Amino acid sequence: MELFLQQLANGLVIGSTYAVVAIGFALAFTVLRVINFAHPDIFMVGMFAGLAATAQWPALGLLVTLLAGAAGAGLVGFALERMVIAPLRGRDVLMTLIGTLGVAIVLQNGMALIVGPDPVAYPSLLPRRFIDIGPVALTLRQVANFAICLLLLGLVSLYVRATSYGRATRAIAERPDVAAAFGVNVARICQITILLASMMAGLAAVSVGMLYGSASAFVGLLYGLKAFICMLVAGNRYFEGVMVVALAIGIIEALVTGYLSSSLRDAAAFFVLIGVLYFRPNGLFGSYNT
Amino acid sequence: MNFASFEPVIIFTLLNVVMALGLYITALSGQLSMATAAIAGVGGYGSAVLTVKFAWPFLPSVVLAALAAAIVGAFLALVTLKMRDFILKLTTLAFGEALAVLAFNWDYIGGANSFTGIGLKTTIWTALAATAIALYIAWRFDGSRLGLASRAVRDDPVAASAMGVPIARMRTITFALGGALVGMGGAIQAHYMLVISPHDLGFFVSLNFIIFLLFGGLQTLWGPVLGAVLLTALPEVLRFTNEYRLILYGLIIVLVVLLRPDGLLTRTPTGRAIRILGFTLVKARPVAARAAEMSAQPLPSYLLTRQAAE
Amino acid sequence: MSDLLQVTNLAVSYGSVPAVDGVSLAIEPGELRVILGANGAGKTTIIKTLFGLLRPRAGQIRFEGQIDLLGLKPHQIHRLGIAWVPEGRQLWNTLTVADNLRLGGFAEADKALVNKRIGAMFERFPRLRERQEQIAGSLSGGEQQMVAIARALVSAPRLLLMDEPSLGLAPLVVRDVFNLVREINKMGIAILMVEQNARQALKVANWAYLLETGHIVESGPADEIGGKQRVQAVFLGGHA
Repeated sequence: MELFLQQLANGLVIGSTYAVVAIGFALAFTVLRVINFAHPDIFMVGMFAGLAATAQWPALGLLVTLLAGAAGAGLVGFALERMVIAPLRGRDVLMTLIGTLGVAIVLQNGMALIVGPDPVAYPSLLPRRFIDIGPVALTLRQVANFAICLLLLGLVSLYVRATSYGRATRAIAERPDVAAAFGVNVARICQITILLASMMAGLAAVSVGMLYGSASAFVGLLYGLKAFICMLVAGNRYFEGVMVVALAIGIIEALVTGYLSSSLRDAAAFFVLIGVLYFRPNGLFGSYNT
Repeated sequence: MNFASFEPVIIFTLLNVVMALGLYITALSGQLSMATAAIAGVGGYGSAVLTVKFAWPFLPSVVLAALAAAIVGAFLALVTLKMRDFILKLTTLAFGEALAVLAFNWDYIGGANSFTGIGLKTTIWTALAATAIALYIAWRFDGSRLGLASRAVRDDPVAASAMGVPIARMRTITFALGGALVGMGGAIQAHYMLVISPHDLGFFVSLNFIIFLLFGGLQTLWGPVLGAVLLTALPEVLRFTNEYRLILYGLIIVLVVLLRPDGLLTRTPTGRAIRILGFTLVKARPVAARAAEMSAQPLPSYLLTRQAAE
Repeated sequence: MSDLLQVTNLAVSYGSVPAVDGVSLAIEPGELRVILGANGAGKTTIIKTLFGLLRPRAGQIRFEGQIDLLGLKPHQIHRLGIAWVPEGRQLWNTLTVADNLRLGGFAEADKALVNKRIGAMFERFPRLRERQEQIAGSLSGGEQQMVAIARALVSAPRLLLMDEPSLGLAPLVVRDVFNLVREINKMGIAILMVEQNARQALKVANWAYLLETGHIVESGPADEIGGKQRVQAVFLGGHA
């Protein structure tokens, strides 16, 4: 039982990170109707932006580093939207996929050129400490990571449900023509959406870097695939669905690692994907007709 | 100049041209298949099994493997017939991945450890011959009424079927013929690389071929040729820029997608000449570039559906 | 005599297939004009082009005599005071009724004003007030039509473009819809309505056009148009 609870907790921590990255994907996919291959690498850029900030100004605390990560990622994401995604609007979705893939390759290898292809050490922004919650032992960093991601997810949820622009974002996701005909500047909302998704990813990336104590130019590959799977499994109808699925997959992975073997961990997500899509090809919570 | 040191580059380039042409034929009916690498894998694994496990001679193995690939291609066409654009691409992707997973788990053909021990049967002349065959087939198909009909289906499926073109038959033919070329390329490549692994069947490799096509242009058959040649040979030739190689590759992809979304080689609006980067290059044969011109050309009778023939 | 909206020689094609050709129409402030036509005649094409969602091959669209609508984005056209009640309602089905209405007022900066207008909508449509937190997709067809119309009215438009408001609704509800249309028009809002239900539409409109395969074949006062041969055909073949 203790193992179960421990892995449950571990899973939630990992899953919350998947959720933040997956939401970024989902926003780009449902609102802009593109597959943004470069999103996980924007995540990675955020991680290194935080790293660079603390390298320059070592006295910075956790909060400012997080913001630096958000800023760095947001900048790259915004530029991506303006320079690659927007000009390709209306064309085949494959073009944007390939275009963002090209950007992903540039970002990954560019960063590898700067910092080297191997993982580098990440500054410890929080002390190493264990926190015992009942039978479960978590590090302070894990708890912080979870809290940060949960906060971000909560903010996104609040945004899309309770703000004017957030409602407009959902309107665009469901019926873009009608939204435009009711005064919604679709291009601007798309910009804002990508900006927010990128900033979120960057902020979470700093948290993850701190959690594992390392950053790598190719970290995007790992999170990208998992996040993409989360999006496919959840369907694009409800943003919260993606969050739930991501947490679930995190938990499933942790349980598989704990009870079966760690080498099966990555396969678990694939099995979930195939299983769910077989019975519900539009995802667990359904999709709009794209 | 040591010619031999260029051999790998030349062979890879030629084989990529072959497979790109196969994808081009498939794409003629309007659907870019994301399963190219997997179908090439069918050719590769198939021919390897024949030469290694059954001691077949090289040439018949390649032929049979190409045939198998054609059948797989036709099957894919039938499976995706009723699907719309995005779902169709996703399904071909899933199909390709499924084949890759199959290869990963099938120990008879090596499973996760790859299929090794393939004999070196491919020479530069083999590759040249294959390229010549592929070019010939693509050329003939492109200019034939079959090719015309395919393009009609691509440009305007509604108008095409109104004129009696059976979309199902067209798709199946293009997927099968394209699959055969791709399979042939895969078979020959397997006998040069001497190893074939499940990773070679995956999505990223398929994407490479799509990038050749999009880069070179879909409007003439020389587009995929140019795309395959440039994007295979260029990274090799740029070896001195080793660290920057991939960054350059990524940048080229982005620039082409943004600046030349129709590819490097395009046709003039009348379809009578080929252009590159805005300069008119050569006079092309006046192959009808639009479905509207189709009505001037009679279709071969075996293509017509019953109503249109009456 | 200045037209609110003036369309001249509009031609729109889908790819190489022409949908609408040589269409000219106009509407003055406060008028209620109807475009009659069967399925596939091109009615929705015209509406979408007016909103900038489709680009015409040829023709001109002028608002209030001077403003050229061609080349404007849909959200800019809306802000001129034109609102849309789309064919088949096209509500945001995953959002609540209240959210749908709020989005109707998206273009209005004064949110308090928007809330007041929404309040007025709930006064007029008490059923919607009951259901305001319900997901729009769960409402009945008639209720959804009310939401669609209310959504458009929240933006306080000068011109309302209505695409087949009676489509798919029960006969009793259809009568209510047309009464509502007349009521809105009496408030001073010009309405350009596209309809298959010729009988009901001609009762409320002051002018009618007949659209057949992309061309306007008849145009005149509503009470005269009803007697024309072609319109009779629309009666018979137009609505089930």
